[in-house]
Amino acid sequence: MKRTFVLTNHKGGVGKSTSATNIALGIVALLRQAGAANPRVLLVDTDSQSHATLVTTGRNDFDEDNSLYSVLMANRQDAAEIMGQVIVPSKWDENLHVLPASPMLEQAERELQGTAGSPYRLADPLAKHAPHYAAVVIDTHPSFSLLTEMALVAATDAIVPIEPRYLETVGLMNVISKINYIRDGWRIPNLRVSGVLVTKMDRRVRGHHKLLDELSAHPILGKLLCGVIPMNEAVSYAHRYHRSIFVQNPKAPASKAYGQVAGRIVKYMGTSGGA
Amino acid sequence: MAKRDDPDKLSELLGSFNGELLSEIPQHFNDDSIKVERLLLDMVRPDPIQPRRILPDRIHHEFHDGRLTPSQALRELVQIAQVAARQRGHPFKNLLELLPDPDRDEEDIKLTPEETLLKELITLAVTIHQDGQVNPITVVDMTHGVTRLYRIETGERRYWAGWLLKDFLQGFESDGMIDCIVVPADRSSVFRQAKENTARRGLSAIAMARQAALLLLTVNGYEIPAYAVTNDFYRQALELRIPRGTAQEIYAAMGGVDKAYFSYIKKLLLLCDEAMELADRHNLDEGVLRSITGLAPEDQIEMVQQIIQFGLSGKQVEKILHQDEQTTNETGTTKFPKHINDFVMGYSKHVDDFESESLWKAFLAIHRDEHLTHAFLMRLGETAFAAARNYKGQK
Ligand SMILES: Nc1ncnc2c1ncn2[C@@H]1O[C@H](COP(=O)(O)OP(=O)(O)OP(=O)(O)O)[C@@H](O)[C@H]1O
Ligand SMILES: [Mg+2]
Repeated sequence: MKRTFVLTNHKGGVGKSTSATNIALGIVALLRQAGAANPRVLLVDTDSQSHATLVTTGRNDFDEDNSLYSVLMANRQDAAEIMGQVIVPSKWDENLHVLPASPMLEQAERELQGTAGSPYRLADPLAKHAPHYAAVVIDTHPSFSLLTEMALVAATDAIVPIEPRYLETVGLMNVISKINYIRDGWRIPNLRVSGVLVTKMDRRVRGHHKLLDELSAHPILGKLLCGVIPMNEAVSYAHRYHRSIFVQNPKAPASKAYGQVAGRIVKYMGTSGGA
Repeated sequence: MAKRDDPDKLSELLGSFNGELLSEIPQHFNDDSIKVERLLLDMVRPDPIQPRRILPDRIHHEFHDGRLTPSQALRELVQIAQVAARQRGHPFKNLLELLPDPDRDEEDIKLTPEETLLKELITLAVTIHQDGQVNPITVVDMTHGVTRLYRIETGERRYWAGWLLKDFLQGFESDGMIDCIVVPADRSSVFRQAKENTARRGLSAIAMARQAALLLLTVNGYEIPAYAVTNDFYRQALELRIPRGTAQEIYAAMGGVDKAYFSYIKKLLLLCDEAMELADRHNLDEGVLRSITGLAPEDQIEMVQQIIQFGLSGKQVEKILHQDEQTTNETGTTKFPKHINDFVMGYSKHVDDFESESLWKAFLAIHRDEHLTHAFLMRLGETAFAAARNYKGQK
């Protein structure tokens, strides 16, 4: 099964979209550097705020006709075909494609709530497109809403971005057990939590170090730690100018950190039989 | 700052962050060998230049000109078949009624080409549904950016069967996908397509002619378009010769034909459009078509119609043509050709003596072949009818 990474955490502003977009681009660039025949990555934006869509495509005017909304509301037989029609190229890289979000997604969520099979409305059509990508990366809304559930059902690997100030292991274990709960509830044994990504790490704050040390020492969570992204103003600028961190400032500490996370993920994809 | 939209720079940069990891990235990602994938039917398109045509000519062109969707194209085919079936007194509503029924005696029913095609496609669809798609079709990856597109190199029948399953056969679940061997665009080849085409049985003589033309055009450096072409495109090959050193490859790709046969096949491109279409649709052999390529277009069409209607052999066709030649060579004195004058005089004088039994015997005595005699008499009758209709039209 094709590796499909979902960046999720019900806490807002922890760097889900920043991580999803930069990791997606990082995978493309690394695979290309390694001479892979197919370095294409699909970024799926399931967040009605459309931040990931905006920064990667320069647009946030996708609506009922040309966004993920169209896919979710389509007849079951037509959904895959429509997905093919609404995927757009990104402005970041020719091999990074985007399935755009739309504010309409909130409405889709209301309409689909409780209808049979709704959690599979993303997974089913995506299964027909995923084989043509080296990987799929999904960004989510800061909640465990129906759309996030759809994203998890469609995914193979959950990566949980987390700010050091929320690093209490209890809170993190809660996110993980919620993901496991969804996995067991919808019988999607392929899904697992395969990474915890610490974001906005400020080395000057003593508390951050302490929490990070604690996390590394934890028997389960320590093994899941897949990267530490420093707090870096280049990230904010990149966000504002709709650029990737790598283009905004390749020398910034956050560039290096995201580059390494992408590297680890690509290695993982290769060794886990994911491609 | 790295420049925007500079993919190489970006890749290099990430490479520098990851150092030796890059060399560790498993071969896995570098595998560009030919692979089997399950593709959405919507992303697959038949090859407009494929010499082996599946759809009837008109539908073929409307489909490839983008005026019909795959479903609409099939619907047109179904309609043509339905009309033919109704005319034979065997109307059908549900496509599954076309499946062979062991309880029904169907030996004698002569189906039109469209009915036969539809029946075969339905049978294929049902088989695929029951046993799975055993053979993947071969497609060429024409993907450009986010627009994923695959052109069928061989296996168009299975593609149409897939659409039948998806949109037409009720009660047959289909996920709208098809197993494909994906060939990278730079490895697609008219030669491989030709070999696959000629390796299977049932490539019509006209399809062979198009195939020969395509190979000739290719080796002569012509650009093969990506849209449906008229027969004139193929006819360009009539003036082309096989370049030195490529003959063996071409003959092999045509299924191991010899030089003489290749030139006969190529000459079929001399047939006019209508004659070609008829001959293709009815899958006529090169042998029966060989001697009519030199005729005027109207005569080609008429001969092809007769070949189809009476199942004439190549020999019989030659005989008929020879006969015509002999008679037209003698020029009459009146303003009508002599043979017509003779016939009309004779018939007018002895009109009461013409009766079917002796007419049959007289014709048979000349031709010594019942089949051929039958063909002549039918033709005579038809000519007489046409003449009579002429009068009606002028009134
Ligand atoms: N490493 C970082 N250093 C500095 N600022 C950051 C960093 N990561 C993210 N930010 C900033 O934090 C804000 C929130 O980030 P982001 O949008 O990625 O989070 P999110 O989890 O997707 O938010 P939401 O829950 O609203 O979707 C943005 O303004 C972003 O620029
Ligand atoms: Mg976000």
